[in-house]
Amino acid sequence: MKRLLTLLLISLATVALAQDLNDAPVTPAFSPVTWDRLVNASDEPENWLTYSGTQNSQRYTRLDQVDISNVTDLELKWSYQIPVIDRAETTPLVVDGIMFITESPSNVVAVDAVTGRQYWRYDYELPEDLRICCGRNNRGVAILGETLYMSTLDAHLVAIDARTGNLRWDTEVADYAKGYSKTAAPIIVKDMVVTGIAGGEFGIRGFIDAYDAATGERRWRTYTVAGPGDPNVSSWADDSWKIGGAPTWITGSYDADLNLVYWGTGNPAPDYNGDVRLGDNLYSDSALALNGDTGEIEWHFQFTPHDEHDWDAIQIPILADIQFQGRQRKVMLWANRNAFFYTIDRATGEFLLGTPFAKQTWASGLDSKGRPIVLPGVSPTYEGVLVSPSIGGGTNWYSPAYSPKTELFYVNSYDGEHKYIKRDEEYEEGQRFTGGGFESVQPIDNYYSAIRAIDPGNGEIKWEFPIQPRSSAGIMATSGGLLFSGSVDGYFYALDANNGRELWHISLGARVHSAPMSFAVDGKQFISVAAGNVVYTFGLKE
Amino acid sequence: MRQTYLFYWKANLLTGILLALGLGLLNQPAVAQEHEEINLYNTAVDVRVGGRYFQRQCSRCHGADAKGTDETGAPDLTGTISRASTDFGIYNIIRKGIQGTAMLPVPADTPDPKVWQLVAYINSLRINPANIDLTGSPDAGQSLFTSKGSCSDCHMIGGTGGRRGPDLSLVGQRLDPDELKIAMTNPDELVDPRWWTMRITQKNGSVVEGLRMEEDTFSLRVIDENADLWSFRKNEIQSYERVETSTMPSYTQTLTEGEIDDLVAYLFSLRKDN
Ligand code: HEC
Ligand code: HEC
Repeated sequence: MKRLLTLLLISLATVALAQDLNDAPVTPAFSPVTWDRLVNASDEPENWLTYSGTQNSQRYTRLDQVDISNVTDLELKWSYQIPVIDRAETTPLVVDGIMFITESPSNVVAVDAVTGRQYWRYDYELPEDLRICCGRNNRGVAILGETLYMSTLDAHLVAIDARTGNLRWDTEVADYAKGYSKTAAPIIVKDMVVTGIAGGEFGIRGFIDAYDAATGERRWRTYTVAGPGDPNVSSWADDSWKIGGAPTWITGSYDADLNLVYWGTGNPAPDYNGDVRLGDNLYSDSALALNGDTGEIEWHFQFTPHDEHDWDAIQIPILADIQFQGRQRKVMLWANRNAFFYTIDRATGEFLLGTPFAKQTWASGLDSKGRPIVLPGVSPTYEGVLVSPSIGGGTNWYSPAYSPKTELFYVNSYDGEHKYIKRDEEYEEGQRFTGGGFESVQPIDNYYSAIRAIDPGNGEIKWEFPIQPRSSAGIMATSGGLLFSGSVDGYFYALDANNGRELWHISLGARVHSAPMSFAVDGKQFISVAAGNVVYTFGLKE
Repeated sequence: MRQTYLFYWKANLLTGILLALGLGLLNQPAVAQEHEEINLYNTAVDVRVGGRYFQRQCSRCHGADAKGTDETGAPDLTGTISRASTDFGIYNIIRKGIQGTAMLPVPADTPDPKVWQLVAYINSLRINPANIDLTGSPDAGQSLFTSKGSCSDCHMIGGTGGRRGPDLSLVGQRLDPDELKIAMTNPDELVDPRWWTMRITQKNGSVVEGLRMEEDTFSLRVIDENADLWSFRKNEIQSYERVETSTMPSYTQTLTEGEIDDLVAYLFSLRKDN
């Protein structure tokens, strides 16, 4: 009898499914993601509501079903193949069992988070003459209510109905023909969408924007290159600020108590020739703290003044509350492309400590304000000069993680080097404007790469796990005591977050270029990561 | 490459049919001419201008020396271009990009001469064998390779020889005469990581030594001197050590300068077209 009932139910379900397929594609209903829920996202670890998981960007999940004792029981539950072949750098969001995945070049799909089957897809149409420096990527969406917000490669911001995939609004953020583009996931601040811009290799003037989430109208814009009216414009010789670069091509963080938005800025333009832009070049290569309502810069901290090596401060700002020299402090943790790790007071911008976490040969250290003491002979020359870190940096845009359980900061680091070359170059609108280049001197296997666990209280490296040859994947820490990350040799793996012990790995067959995330449905924890052009989802064996 | 060809073949056919319809005859030569584009921008000045443009638009991925970078996966452009065998093929890669890869087309408003100058620059990076005079005798080199030099103990050419060194069947495409000479006189100068030696100490204390077939984050594969292949998981061995020098001996003592020149001439002749 029971058997019969099951059969009946299955056939009913099949009919329902068939009907669904005939109707317009739509996801099941989910509870709209309010601003309050975003502020308290760590309280609902079954959902992954922002690019970095929570507003403090720790990329830490409170889910602990998968832990040190059972991580070897992980198995593949499903995979989703992205139809456009490029490299996937996406971190999906999950809301009540529905997963939103962004795809190259600027598309998004909604899938069932338990099966990977598609509900709807949204394809954004791009112009043919795009100018982009570094591949056709999209790293993720933001959600507020029932609307998704996505950056597009032609520098638009689009709002998409999360139930149906229909377009709500489409706003041009900047003119792509001038070299602007957008790849990063935005964040939500109250009723606004806050978002950055890419194009540092084209002599743009960078900014951070806020848009009305309901209408797409711009509320504020804060330029990341100081201009007239800002005394810091004097940190740029002559008119060089006009094409000063300082793009903002990765996602920022937010502190609701302080009402501050934190964002990193990229290199000054041109990248390798500093002669045409003498001065510190504020606010390139800096961390900025912006007022959440007005966008005003409340403080800035410049990691690499007058950068000539393309060492963008394009990292995810991790916000944490830690014991620092016996005192509880609200800090920001930052492992920078320039190979130094920083702990900064996030309320005031005060520099607390900075130590190298990867090989560097350009500074003898940092002074008491955190300013690098630059060694002679490291500026690029016409013949080329060998400097560490490499152009890719001690680390880069890929997400670090912080575990409040271990109180450690985790970062994928690379002890590389490059020969940096300077060239004289005229600025031409919409053309590449780098003022130089670089040469590799040895095969990549000659250099050392590792996940490093850093104590933010003193900057010491507590342990490291070597990666061969290197990694451009993000890291996720879990309450189950695990770290998940990947590598360019196509592995996805789990380490013990306490000591770096290897616990589990699987070869996914293609470079992991994304950051892992975790969610739960019906009490079961899942872990997802994109590798190559595929999103893989793992869970424990039943 | 095949895809590109297929596409042009189709375009050819279509143009051909249209022409045939229009003119009432099959105008084959005209069609062929139209697609056998030759580079009209090929002077020394064009090469220089193309080089400057390359530094600006392409070096970020392909490197300032055009030798490629691991970071971006952009290949070395100084040797054989694997996706094109003609100037027009290279032109098309630059104009249209390579679908589904980071290799994007140049901006659509880039004038044709600029693209051709890039082609001229890329061609200038490749050595043109016709312009190189070598003193040695390829025939003498060929016999030295298997006799006095015992090179074939370690190297394969055309399917015969040993496996302890790289296959040299097409080495003339990869290395220029100077580099070939250095390979024989100073083998340690630049050793590809594939040819490093790994010394692996197992948990029971025994040591395995062999050439580094592959190493990744979690595993290692080496081939020992008996051509036996060993696979290890890094967490199941005690330790490992890399020796980054070459296992090939230097021939400055055992071969005369003339014999080395002969070997250079022979190896340099080993190209696809020969
Ligand atoms: C964003 C990085 C990037 C830039 C910029 C770039 N390339 Fe490439 N290029 C690549 C990659 C990656 C490939 C290999 C694609 C493949 O086949 O998988 C490639 C392949 C090529 C090839 C084919 C090589 C072969 O052996 O088949 C040529 C020719 C080439 N590029 C020329 C250029 C030129 C000329 C420019 C400047 C106008 C340029 N590239 C700019 C990344 C880049
Ligand atoms: C004991 C084995 C051995 C013998 C004998 C030997 N080689 Fe090699 N050879 C190697 C190895 C291993 C490499 C790769 C490492 C390196 O670059 O030195 C190599 C590299 C080379 C290369 C560079 C190939 C490339 O693709 O970069 C050339 C050319 C070469 N050998 C020529 C010769 C010639 C000519 C002889 C005889 C005169 C010879 N070798 C004898 C082991 C050998």
